Amino acid sequence: MLTINLFNGLVYGALLIIMSSGLALIYGLRRVVNFAHGALYMLGAYIGFTVAMHSNFWVALLAAPLAMAMVGVLLDRYGLRLLQDREPLNVMLVTFGLLLILEDLVAFVWGKGNHSLFTPELLNFSVSVFGESLPAYRIGVIVVGAAVALGLTLWLRFSRIGLFVRAASTDPVTTSMQGVNTDTLSAGVVGLGAALAGLAGVVAAPFLSLSPHMSSDVLIDSFVVVVIGGLGSLAGAFVAALLLGMMQAIGAVYLPQVSVLLPFLFMIAVLVWKPSGLAGSRT
Amino acid sequence: MSLSRIGFLGLLALLGGALVMGLTQSASLLGMFTQAVIYAIFALGVGVLLRQNGLVSFGHALFFGAAGYGIGVALTLQWMPAELALLAVLAAIGAGAFLIGLVIVRVPGIAFGMLTLAIGQMAYLLASRARGLTGGADGMGIPWPDTLFGVPQATLLQPATLFMLAWALMVAVTCALLWLLGTRFGAVTEAIRDNEERARFIGIKTTVPRALVYALSAVVTGIAGLLSALNTGFVSPESLHWSASAITLLMVVVGGFKRATGPIVGAIVYFLFKDLLGEWATHSMALFGAALIAVIVFSPDGITGALARLRQRLRHGPLKKGSQP
Repeated sequence: MLTINLFNGLVYGALLIIMSSGLALIYGLRRVVNFAHGALYMLGAYIGFTVAMHSNFWVALLAAPLAMAMVGVLLDRYGLRLLQDREPLNVMLVTFGLLLILEDLVAFVWGKGNHSLFTPELLNFSVSVFGESLPAYRIGVIVVGAAVALGLTLWLRFSRIGLFVRAASTDPVTTSMQGVNTDTLSAGVVGLGAALAGLAGVVAAPFLSLSPHMSSDVLIDSFVVVVIGGLGSLAGAFVAALLLGMMQAIGAVYLPQVSVLLPFLFMIAVLVWKPSGLAGSRT
Repeated sequence: MSLSRIGFLGLLALLGGALVMGLTQSASLLGMFTQAVIYAIFALGVGVLLRQNGLVSFGHALFFGAAGYGIGVALTLQWMPAELALLAVLAAIGAGAFLIGLVIVRVPGIAFGMLTLAIGQMAYLLASRARGLTGGADGMGIPWPDTLFGVPQATLLQPATLFMLAWALMVAVTCALLWLLGTRFGAVTEAIRDNEERARFIGIKTTVPRALVYALSAVVTGIAGLLSALNTGFVSPESLHWSASAITLLMVVVGGFKRATGPIVGAIVYFLFKDLLGEWATHSMALFGAALIAVIVFSPDGITGALARLRQRLRHGPLKKGSQP
């Protein structure tokens, strides 16, 4: 019982890692808490669903993030870039407006009913671990989450562009004075963040059902993760995502009445103790 | 603004409300106006927090819903007469919000918004799961007594009476806020909003005034919650959901939060827009999203800000380039 719960906690944690790393990247460069991230996640899931119906899951796994990357680049070029001198609150509300539009678009194109995506054939089996049989697909989700975390860390730490991203997150003005084109960089990073939201959507589609309201829960949990981890900090977000997944899993066993409240209680405790989050030094 | 001027404008606004009531023939239209006015009070609460503290709340539905649940529980268990219960609920909301405020107003910027979101969602989840008295996800009916403040229920629930009651409360709240924020308390909170560190340097305690503004905004929102409970006779977890907070924040920003009347204009425009859409109403959220983006992009201080600029232009001619509006 506990094993399967811990395992599911890890799966949800991996999903939150994929979602919240995109949010953290976008916040780092544009200082915007992106409400539209939930809509990008949902759109990724629905596009993945349609593509998978017409070809197969693996094509969808590639197509949805690519489509979302394009949406992200456009969002940065024709949205965030033009609004970069505005109040952060106003830009945040623009992304909220975008969330409303995209939710309606999804309901219009795919209908208000629930859809579900079948688990791909290749991963439709179970693995027995500690006497529990664990579905292989969910193990795959954990692998994807780990790969995203590892890939992003290595990329930011060791590549030249990664260095630029870190520099621009700390001080965009100085970075652009050193000859880095921060606008192109932001477009790329917002594109990457959106692609990660799309990836999270496709990955979640076979085990969470698709509906026009699917974005709300995951979006709020991702906000909680990003804020607990320290806005803009990737390492903080990874730790917070795993903690949150685990907390819900263990809470569901020992404190079933209040398990849904645990993430919020944890966030309040962390923020009251350290307002900038676990890994945050900036406010 | 001087007290007599506030009183004069308040009376004028009351007359305007009576005129609207007199001219409106259809009961359903008046019902829609009533709802708009209730949300205008809700938005006034969110707006005063934003204007006076510079803090964005994504969880004010907490106080809107809590007022409904509070009065529902108090009346069901018959703890006290309904008139007293109304005041007790508002006092409890004020006290609770003050205590919450003492903790959370220290957290800066966006994290504050996320904290209010978290606290609000906790209340939503609790209300939608709690069985028994509050009816869980189904919500609870509110057993209003036969007479309230000596007025029989049948008279009170007439669309015209409800509208006038809501309108009068809205005017009263606006006047009270205008007066209160013109006093020293208003100046102190503005100083803290603009630069907390400097305010501390000149010897102002900065946490308590901000917590008081938070409590004030919660009480205003609570008044809207009580009115809504009277209007519909019903409260459900939906009234606590974060989307209610977000929509109200949308009204505040569209109306323009820098002016006292902005939230009212925003709420009324929202409901008129929704009503005019008619058969397009299924896509209302997308249209609101688009309208929200348009207002923020073209007029960051909202409709009232745009109107003020227009008036200035009509009075003084077009602005010269480079001069500050």
